[in-house]
Amino acid sequence: MALVETQDLVKKYELGGETVRAVDGVSLSIERGEYVAIMGASGSGKSTFMNMIGCLDIPTSGIVRIDGIATSDRDGDALAELRNQKIGFVFQQFNLLARTTALDNVAVPLIYAGLGTEARREKAKAKLEEMGLGDRLDHSPAKLSGGQQQRVAIARALVTDPVILLADEPTGALDSKTSEDIMQIFESLNEQGITIIVVTHEAEIADHAKRRIEFRDGKVIEDVAVNNRQKVSS
Amino acid sequence: MIGNIRQQASGWLVNVAIAMTALRTNLMRSILTTLGVMIGVFAVTLAVAVGSGAQVSVMQSINALGSNMALIFPQPDTGEGGRRSFDRGRLTMRDARAIEKQISGIDDIAPQLRSNIQLIVAGRNASTNAVGTTPGYGKVSNLVAENGRFISDADVRSAARVVVLGPTVARKLFGDFDPVGETIRINRAPFTVIGITESKGSSFGNDNDDIALMPISTMRQRFSGDSLAGPDDLQMLFVGFQDGISLPDAKREMTKLLRERYRVRGKDINPFTIRTTEEFMKESAQVTGIFQIVLVAIASISLLVGGIGIMNIMLVSVTERTREIGLRMALGAKRSDIRNQFLVEAAVLCVIGGAMGLILAIAGGTALTVYADFPVPIGVGVGVGAIIFSAFIGLLFGGYPAVRASRLSPIEALRTE
Repeated sequence: MALVETQDLVKKYELGGETVRAVDGVSLSIERGEYVAIMGASGSGKSTFMNMIGCLDIPTSGIVRIDGIATSDRDGDALAELRNQKIGFVFQQFNLLARTTALDNVAVPLIYAGLGTEARREKAKAKLEEMGLGDRLDHSPAKLSGGQQQRVAIARALVTDPVILLADEPTGALDSKTSEDIMQIFESLNEQGITIIVVTHEAEIADHAKRRIEFRDGKVIEDVAVNNRQKVSS
Repeated sequence: MIGNIRQQASGWLVNVAIAMTALRTNLMRSILTTLGVMIGVFAVTLAVAVGSGAQVSVMQSINALGSNMALIFPQPDTGEGGRRSFDRGRLTMRDARAIEKQISGIDDIAPQLRSNIQLIVAGRNASTNAVGTTPGYGKVSNLVAENGRFISDADVRSAARVVVLGPTVARKLFGDFDPVGETIRINRAPFTVIGITESKGSSFGNDNDDIALMPISTMRQRFSGDSLAGPDDLQMLFVGFQDGISLPDAKREMTKLLRERYRVRGKDINPFTIRTTEEFMKESAQVTGIFQIVLVAIASISLLVGGIGIMNIMLVSVTERTREIGLRMALGAKRSDIRNQFLVEAAVLCVIGGAMGLILAIAGGTALTVYADFPVPIGVGVGVGAIIFSAFIGLLFGGYPAVRASRLSPIEALRTE
């Protein structure tokens, strides 16, 4: 069974009296353990597609199944639970809570998972240590570099042990050296068996993935396996 | 089960922590918002306390009269309506004796005549309300001579020119000097001061100590000859009852007795009025109750304004933190989690404001008690009530913004800049 599966997925918007088909009948499936890059120009529908498989946005029509669960059958709270348990998000702007320590930022999803204070701190600390931030637990985002902030965000995405990591332009706000570090982390996470879906418009970032899906005008125009890691990674 | 409760408790604690962080972030705004609630809670708490203070002081005043007592006046009782068969009220010494003899459970009676008198001694003078009465007065109205003695039966029999002064009158005439045994002139006749009463404070703004007591016979002879129709008439009669006697029953019996004596028939108006301390207390409780409701209603307006301030600032806070709400939803927050977060934030704001308002009210109440001699009791109940009420205000006015936050679509909230 595919981990992520879509059938005839459509998302329409009304914009200035005109109907925009942001995602226009996309059917594809992503297996457990894949590393997928979703590419396309801005407005191609790649972000909308990802928001729908991330259960953040509701399709106009069509089906999304996450780990066999059809999201259209679920109400808002059930989707929140699904996001909490199965999906980790990494955003372009990190989206860390200001004036909140790295540790507390990472612990946020565990609040909604219903864990007690001690368990939250322990798990969050372990994830931050995995990300090499064991000495930055009490730092607020303002005192961390961009790369460090994104690593805190990755720790947060992984703290509930999700099966999918969804990253929307994860390196868009980082310099190329730092971007490379983040990509290394993604690769090693993928090696540990986590399914990774990255939305990007940068070819160098997409080159780290094992599969590349290209969107244009809400449709998939290319879906290919890639194997050129050696060339990109140093 | 226990684990679940602990988890929930920890969830609320997390919300309190989130709220504190958010409130610290906009410290000035939080303080100003809190100020509104503080003033509201201050006003309401003080209004409640002043109201119950009024109640306490009224009860004290009535207790100062004597706690289990009926007052009978020679005034037609027009309360019930009916035919008026008398041109004026009736109450005589003979009625008083009949009541004393025929009604059970009486402790003592105190027939009275009242008159305004001038007292003069060594160039000083004072005018006061004089009561001509019998030794029973002391017992019925809990009045004892602190110095010297009270009026005796012998004084009444012989219409002795003796007077017992209230502390206020004594101070006016003699200063700190002990007047017992001194002679004073009352309306030009010499009187001997035989005692000073114990202080009874003031009721309803009247000084209970501004009084002079003399035998009823003396009063009748010297001061109230023409104001009364008959030589045996009374202006008032206090009837003190033993503890445990039902005042409504006693009143019914006395009414029956007096109606027979005056041959009042059917629905005709009685030529006398009987009031009991119990009735006074009920009426006063009603009046002070209304007074308190009016006070609290006015004060509530300021709390309402404070609450609207809370709602306003919470709406701003929700708008400002739309992105944070979206993020929390992405990370797994349910609608109820978001709603509770903002509810707790509003409640924390209100409880802080409420606590400050309570402290202010305690300070204000203490000041009133000390400087205005008006009891303003702020008990533990009022304090706890004020805090719980503040939290309730938070939930009430924070409710709409919180629900609005919880209804945001996760993706639209996340996209907000």
